Amino acid sequence: MILITAVIKPHALDTVREALSIVGVAGMTISEVKGFGRQRGHTEVYRGAEYKVDYVPKLKIEILATAESADEVVEAIAKAARTGKIGDGKIWVTTVDSVTRIRTGETGPGAI
Amino acid sequence: MHPVLVAVSICAQGFAECSDKAWLNTGDNAWQLTAATFVALMSVPGLAVLFGGLVQKKWVVNTMLMAFAGFAAVLIVWVLWAYDMGFGSPIFHNASNNWNGSLITRFIDNFVGRPGTVISSTGETGQATVPLLQANNDMPPFGLPMASVVYFQFVFAAITPLLFLGSVLARIKFKVWCLFVPLWTSLAYSVNAYLLWGGGFWAHQGAGDFSGGYVIHLAAGTSGFVAAAMIGPRLKKDREKSLPHSLPLIAIGGGIVWLGWNGFNGGDPYFASADAAAAVINTNMATAAALLTWVIWDMYFGPAKKPTFLGAINGMVVGLVAITPCAGYVNGAGAMLVGAIDSTVVWMAWTYLSRASFMKRVDDAMGIVYTHGIAGLVGGLLLGVFADPSVVVYQQIGLASGSPVDVSVKGALYGHPGQIAIQFGAALTVIIWDALVTFVILTVLKFLFGGSLRYDDATCEVGDLAVHDEEGYPDTEGVTRILPGYGTASPIPASTGAASTSAPTVVGGA
Repeated sequence: MILITAVIKPHALDTVREALSIVGVAGMTISEVKGFGRQRGHTEVYRGAEYKVDYVPKLKIEILATAESADEVVEAIAKAARTGKIGDGKIWVTTVDSVTRIRTGETGPGAI
Repeated sequence: MHPVLVAVSICAQGFAECSDKAWLNTGDNAWQLTAATFVALMSVPGLAVLFGGLVQKKWVVNTMLMAFAGFAAVLIVWVLWAYDMGFGSPIFHNASNNWNGSLITRFIDNFVGRPGTVISSTGETGQATVPLLQANNDMPPFGLPMASVVYFQFVFAAITPLLFLGSVLARIKFKVWCLFVPLWTSLAYSVNAYLLWGGGFWAHQGAGDFSGGYVIHLAAGTSGFVAAAMIGPRLKKDREKSLPHSLPLIAIGGGIVWLGWNGFNGGDPYFASADAAAAVINTNMATAAALLTWVIWDMYFGPAKKPTFLGAINGMVVGLVAITPCAGYVNGAGAMLVGAIDSTVVWMAWTYLSRASFMKRVDDAMGIVYTHGIAGLVGGLLLGVFADPSVVVYQQIGLASGSPVDVSVKGALYGHPGQIAIQFGAALTVIIWDALVTFVILTVLKFLFGGSLRYDDATCEVGDLAVHDEEGYPDTEGVTRILPGYGTASPIPASTGAASTSAPTVVGGA
């Protein structure tokens, strides 16, 4: 079992979600996050004073999946979230030791 | 010259110059200025935060700025030429000889007044007059100076484009907005006002519009709908997710709008009279009835069969709009019926008419065509039913000419069904003229702005930050001020200005 974590541009969420449902992903967790990578921040102006804002709003997506489906899911996210411009985000995959479905107590791949 | 010396020299010429003007009624004037301020507060901050709360978070700054800038733009054209086009003298005839002359001059004199400024000292402190109304014995002489009437009518002129801001926001270019508003005030609003309030054609036919069911709300609904169609819809994604971003902001804006309406309808008699008081309580009764009616429809027939806050706000706005043409012409029972009936009609339209394909194609973002257009139209027609001739705006005027009359409106319930036809004719004129003017102005602006009245999709995607470099709720983490002249970013100083009053050691410490 694996955990796929992706940080994407907020407005890419709808297309990513559609792409994931096509490859059979049944659930995910989303959080609003801020950060920066190679994409630097931007400038804002308040009362004539310029401010440099370092962190850019992003969405973090977390998906539990079986190891076999990893490539397919990662590819689906990457394809859907890509605009080709700097700041499209990143995807990484980590191994998961155990998963439990709280309602039934089920564990392992069946609980995904 | 020293101010005191000026005063002394004027007083030497005659005592009258130093006392109040004989025509001035301080009670009327105090109420008029208060009422005008109430109405102004409905625009800023009322509509600014009501619409600000109704839009997505990414558009709140743009929405509020357009409200404040529109308010300012109207005032400039209002005092330079537009007030007189609505409330001044006819162009070709003198006020008391209005109905002679060629067909063309008579037509124009029934339609719009002569443009002129009201910024001279007499334009501000002289006795107010609406020449055609007083010439026709439609109202007694004012106890107010010009400035009070000009400002009171300005706040109405200003709120009208701010209402149809609700139809076009979240994509219209700021520059287009800043030109559209003063042009619309000059060409559409001034004509609406002259036709119904300045003594023009429909005023002469006896059409009633107490505070602007037609001049303001039907006009805003019509123009907003046409403008929304011409500007094109918001981003598809924004339309699908057009959730309001702050319900508490809507509560603040909505509350200011409701209570501000006490000035809106209570100020329109121009006298601090019994009818002014009746108009205020009628306004509140109609609004209460309309709010509750909408909530009841939501609870028993709405999509979730639950009472909703935003439904209550819609009902409130519809009630306020519905009673606007009627406020000082109906009795209390009439007021509550007007509110309940109009709220029902607009609820039906909001729920069912909105499913028609032509209504879906036009992206009237806040639904102004329903809550102001249809609500104002229905309110004006209901005046033709419920207007009670014993609710008198001005009593026994024209005594000097020997034929005193009470100024009031008689509706179908009181034996004058023809009033409905008159109301209908006035409504049709406003709809056709305002739609036409909006179409022409935006066609010209579209040409001037290279074929597009709206921001491109990439700008709409980002919103406030792309258009203004400001956002409604700025971050504090990761923010550094760029100090000009130093080339690099430095932390924001905790306090500026302290150094100037502190000991030199503090300055050195920075």
